[in-house]
Amino acid sequence: MNTKHEARLPLAFIPPGTDVRLAALGDEIDPLQREQLTAYGLAENRPLRVLQQRPMTVILADEVELALEHAVARHIWVEKLPSAG
Amino acid sequence: MTTPSSAANAILLVGHPNVGKSVLFHRLTGAYVNVSNYPGTTVEVTRASARFDREAMLLDTPGVLALPSRSDDERATMRALLNESSRCLVQVGDAKNLRRTLTLTALLAELGVPMVLALNMHDEAAARGVMVDIPALSEELGIPVLATVATGGEGIGELTHGLGHATRAEALLRYDQDIEADIARMAEAITRLAPHPQLAARGLAILYLGGDSVVADWLAEHAGQQLAELETLRQAAAERAEGDLPALLARERTEAADALASSVIQRAVRSSPLLSQRLGQYVVHPLWGVPILLGVLYAVYQFVGVFGASVLVGLMEKDLFEGILNPAFTNLVSVALGTGWLQELLVGQYGLWTMGMTYALALILPIVTTFFFAFGVLEDSGYLPRLTVIANRLFALIGLNGRAVLPMVLGLGCVTMATLTTRILHSRRERLITIFLLALAIPCSAQLGVVLGMLGGVSFTAVLIWALAMVGILLLAGFLAAKLIPGRRIPLVTELPPMRLPIIANVLKKTGGRLKWYLIEVIPLFLLGTFIMFALDKSGALPAIIDAGEPLVSGWLGLPKEASAAFVMGFLRRDFGATGLFAMAHSLDPIQAVVGMITITLFIPCFASLMMMVKEQGSKVALGMVAVIVPFAFFIGGLFNLVLRALWS
Repeated sequence: MNTKHEARLPLAFIPPGTDVRLAALGDEIDPLQREQLTAYGLAENRPLRVLQQRPMTVILADEVELALEHAVARHIWVEKLPSAG
Repeated sequence: MTTPSSAANAILLVGHPNVGKSVLFHRLTGAYVNVSNYPGTTVEVTRASARFDREAMLLDTPGVLALPSRSDDERATMRALLNESSRCLVQVGDAKNLRRTLTLTALLAELGVPMVLALNMHDEAAARGVMVDIPALSEELGIPVLATVATGGEGIGELTHGLGHATRAEALLRYDQDIEADIARMAEAITRLAPHPQLAARGLAILYLGGDSVVADWLAEHAGQQLAELETLRQAAAERAEGDLPALLARERTEAADALASSVIQRAVRSSPLLSQRLGQYVVHPLWGVPILLGVLYAVYQFVGVFGASVLVGLMEKDLFEGILNPAFTNLVSVALGTGWLQELLVGQYGLWTMGMTYALALILPIVTTFFFAFGVLEDSGYLPRLTVIANRLFALIGLNGRAVLPMVLGLGCVTMATLTTRILHSRRERLITIFLLALAIPCSAQLGVVLGMLGGVSFTAVLIWALAMVGILLLAGFLAAKLIPGRRIPLVTELPPMRLPIIANVLKKTGGRLKWYLIEVIPLFLLGTFIMFALDKSGALPAIIDAGEPLVSGWLGLPKEASAAFVMGFLRRDFGATGLFAMAHSLDPIQAVVGMITITLFIPCFASLMMMVKEQGSKVALGMVAVIVPFAFFIGGLFNLVLRALWS
């Protein structure tokens, strides 16, 4: 039995400064935009850091900053990483 | 324009957007390409002879986010890969984002063309604590891998040396067993039915199965009647796949790139973000972003609007041209030619020198020079992509996303150039709306300078009314266009490149390149426009046009009937027309000045940008836009005439 209870949350809900792991890209995202996100390196299990949420979601993925509109970030599912220390 | 190179002498620079391909191209060729610190600057393949080998032709391709191709940029790059006789590929990658770089390598390696990997911006990677084991990466890929800093010229010698050792890369992965079987079947069929002279059938098979439309077109052209066999194979592979086949292929490449990147990257722990990262976050900060934007706009206004349009134009027009050059040239011509029509053609009221060259060099050149310099500083700093984030909400009102702010801001420099840059937008609908708004309500820097010069002389209120009218009309027209043009808005997803201190030598190069482009376009049109005005005047047609335009120009717009001449000039260039109105500023009251400037700003774009609209959207759409814009400009101008007179009288 899996004892881990990691909730999957929309990226748009994560407070700035939080480290997360990408769990899935929702089906609501347009297929072309999904390919674009994959090309930017947003693949499953990839660690991300949320930098800000307003006016858009800004994340750091592999030293590259990406800005995502909430309409997209709302459908990117992530899991929080245990905080260091 | 793409003309295929012959005899396998082409070296193609390929890579993601904003990784420094165009700077590297400049370093390797000495040729200028429009280089910017924002993705999507190179919208066409550019070619030039290599400095290190005059036989070799270097090709700078538009950035590809991923292959198989999906966007116009990616399709242009794919066409170059298919149609050029390539000696080798230079993949330019971002050293601090090796995973993404290697995802593209995983596909390029399958094409079977000798290649070299230039890991650019390795200084930025090092500053972020990212160290790439280059010898190990080179060994794994089986190709030369070089660290470069294109902006500083580092590693260029090593790169040119590496080109001599370009080899076919080792494959980064074997796909899932079932997918591999489909790839093998497709590659065998391509080898039999439509072999490519250079590219490996396996690479083409992967691209075709991945849904690349350019590869599909190429195969259709070369396989002829046999295409059905390839289509059947693709259909069967798609049905067998457990999920979306293009997505599965892309995911497996990403996993392979991930694995290789992890084995060659070492990361130092960094205690705090870099200053450039913090600065980058401040400029898109919900609280500080807008005040910073206002500060930037004020600085640009001071530099372009005050220093360029007032100080430099004053020095050029009053002191240099009116004070020295024009009297000297007029004397010279009068002595040499006496008085007659030739003398008038050169130095008369509609003289090629006294009107055409004076407008182009004394009034327009200082303004566009300062604008392009300011724009160059902003784009080199990495500020412009962040502007897309701040502008996104506003642009959502007109059915666009923040990305459209880039052509709009560039349009404040040159609408023709901006119309070409709309290719960075992802959908046809976005491009159509943006081109329409550029043509309607975005004044180029030359026109902006004339408008500010003229209305600034009237009052600040006059400038404010004009500016509010333009913003209001832009939003209203955009809102209506977004409602009328079918399709849906695409949410913004954009990369934010690092903020950098602009390198002045690069900014000057860019400014010089853009000015050259602009002057080559503007001077012939100004001379042609002046000549037409001269011919109309001499033939007696100009007074007839002025009389014919009187009901519209005087009756509806409330302007002196002579203003018709400015609108005739405006058909060639809006700024030429605006300059015509500027020249008669002394005879206009404040309302006439505002109405005249609103009408001429909305008036049809210049001839060159009309041609660019035809090129980008086809003649039917371009003429349709003109058919909407011209009556709309006069309608709005007249409306402002009525409203302002009702309010102020």
